[in-house]
Amino acid sequence: MVTVRLENVTKRFGKVVAVDNANLEIKDKEFMALLGPSGSGKSTLLYLIAGIYKPTQGRIYFDDMDVTELPPKERNIGLVFQNWALYPHMKVFDNIAFPLELKKESKEEIKKKVTEVAKMLKIDHLLERYPYQLSGGQQQRVAIARALVKEPGVLLLDEPLSNLDALLRMNVRAELKRLQKELGITAIYVTHDQAEALAMADKIAVIREGEILQVGTPDDVYAKPWCKFVGGFLGNPPMNFVESTVIRESGELLIGESRIPAPPKYAELLKKFDVSKVLLGFRPHDAEVIELKPNMPDPPMLVGEVFAAEPLGRETIVTVVLDDETYVKVFASKEQKFDVRDKVGIVLDLEKALLFDKKTELVLERAFEKKEFS
Amino acid sequence: MLTDVEVRSKKTEVAITIAILMASIPLFLAFSLLVLSSFSKEMMTNLSLESFRFTIENWINVLQGKLAFTGGIRQNILKYTFNTALVALGVAGVVTLISALSGYALSRMNFRGRKFLLMFLLMLHAFPGVALIVGVYLLYRLSLPSSPSLVTTFSFMYVIVARAALEVPMATWLMKGFFDSIPWEIEWSAIVDGASRIRVWRKILLPLIKPGIAAILLFGFLAGWQDLIYVRTFLVEPTLATYIEANLEAEYSHMPLIAAAGTLYLLPTIIFFLTSQKLLLETHSGGIKG
Repeated sequence: MVTVRLENVTKRFGKVVAVDNANLEIKDKEFMALLGPSGSGKSTLLYLIAGIYKPTQGRIYFDDMDVTELPPKERNIGLVFQNWALYPHMKVFDNIAFPLELKKESKEEIKKKVTEVAKMLKIDHLLERYPYQLSGGQQQRVAIARALVKEPGVLLLDEPLSNLDALLRMNVRAELKRLQKELGITAIYVTHDQAEALAMADKIAVIREGEILQVGTPDDVYAKPWCKFVGGFLGNPPMNFVESTVIRESGELLIGESRIPAPPKYAELLKKFDVSKVLLGFRPHDAEVIELKPNMPDPPMLVGEVFAAEPLGRETIVTVVLDDETYVKVFASKEQKFDVRDKVGIVLDLEKALLFDKKTELVLERAFEKKEFS
Repeated sequence: MLTDVEVRSKKTEVAITIAILMASIPLFLAFSLLVLSSFSKEMMTNLSLESFRFTIENWINVLQGKLAFTGGIRQNILKYTFNTALVALGVAGVVTLISALSGYALSRMNFRGRKFLLMFLLMLHAFPGVALIVGVYLLYRLSLPSSPSLVTTFSFMYVIVARAALEVPMATWLMKGFFDSIPWEIEWSAIVDGASRIRVWRKILLPLIKPGIAAILLFGFLAGWQDLIYVRTFLVEPTLATYIEANLEAEYSHMPLIAAAGTLYLLPTIIFFLTSQKLLLETHSGGIKG
């Protein structure tokens, strides 16, 4: 099938830079998610790959072929839109057959292929209906069938699940992932839903304001974000960030009144470079909330009081407000009971905690690498 | 009784209906007098029912082309009706074709001067056709073919194009609105599937704006059907409008007979509005369903 490669791709609409110097490679058979908030340019990037938009600068390659100037129809892509863009005046069969008819394939061939793809997506009993007679989930299958029927090299999906209700979305998510693996097709998937990206993709590219911030496997992007934005965008609830001051002599971090040792992997770096203000980042699962008991030797921890506790059934999200008006969310087991205003301590799993430079918001190791720190 | 916000109370409903009926009395009266007179031996314009004596002679005479009971003046009214229909259909066709293409371009293509053109179209629409007639006549004289045998055909073509030109600006504006209402994704989807833009226009977009096309065909037809000034200035042959106008004040004409011709002239308008209502209101319930 096809490897998609973008080289220094920039797209401007007038003065607005929608995509800024993007470099990205999507390997053959890979499921790539373009993840970003709305207006981040992720859909523009998809439409650039589709050929609906042409880049202002840069080149796009499918395998070794430069497709930058090719019109969409010559790129052999399947595209599924957020609103599915079915042709309302055509029956489901004709909707799916449309790309084949344009290729001037024979009637029998069309019938065979449409039936085949319809069977695969379990919509073969709906072929004689009109789109408006179908449910949302069925319409979405028709849209996917129409994209797949021409056997494209790349399948492009623009938020295809966001018009479905939550329960259906979960089911389709699994089915879509399975389908992509079975067909072995290169897929690029645009979404603003981090859970979707983490659940479905082989690789995630996080995009903000037209810039690709980080590309990596879901595990990588989740556990080792390169910058504060990525950490704060992935995860539900997202990563916590706490402003802290570095005490160089002792290798400790000062957070309000509390002192905790800096995460061990940063010990060297903090000694080597002179940086005073950092952001301590940790995931809600990588910390523990403990009740403060008088006359007990305290482990190093952050101190604060409970702002709210939200039981989720299996566990509880505890929101703690630290002395300096910073709110952090931590998961606690459901056995622990908390009341509003309880004094609590937060003990971090320091192996998993990260430090970010306060000014550039890059994770420290990258900030030093790029020599961009305050 | 509790009502939803979009439901008007019975009382206001009745009041509004009465007001509308009152307001339409003069119009309704005029039309009914015309229709009644066409079936009467005398005109009913004195508003007295006694003057109504039923006859269908007027209609027979009109259809036979007789203008008066006496004398042998005969005019081929069927031919005039055909001429009128020809002009009307021509105008409808030309207006719809041009506006469907230009409306698409204005809605979906980015080109220099697009905004200006949009404003200009509205201004053109505000321009009265009568004011242009001197210039349009000059062009007519300049382009008139020298061979007399072609003049009749030419005058048909000319009047159709000239009359259509008056309708095109507003029709284009309306068409642009219809195209605007179709999401871009549908067009993109078809382009990615391999369709050319002209094919997208014909196969995907036109079927989606059928009600709009029907409306513009209808308005185009009626514009051509009811036109008097352009037809009278350019067309060599008479239409129903010029026929009625020419005979309205002729000494020999029998007024109830003219009323019959007038009723005949009104028929398509009435028929169209009665039959096309459903089509105009029809919209595709496509799009998104959760």
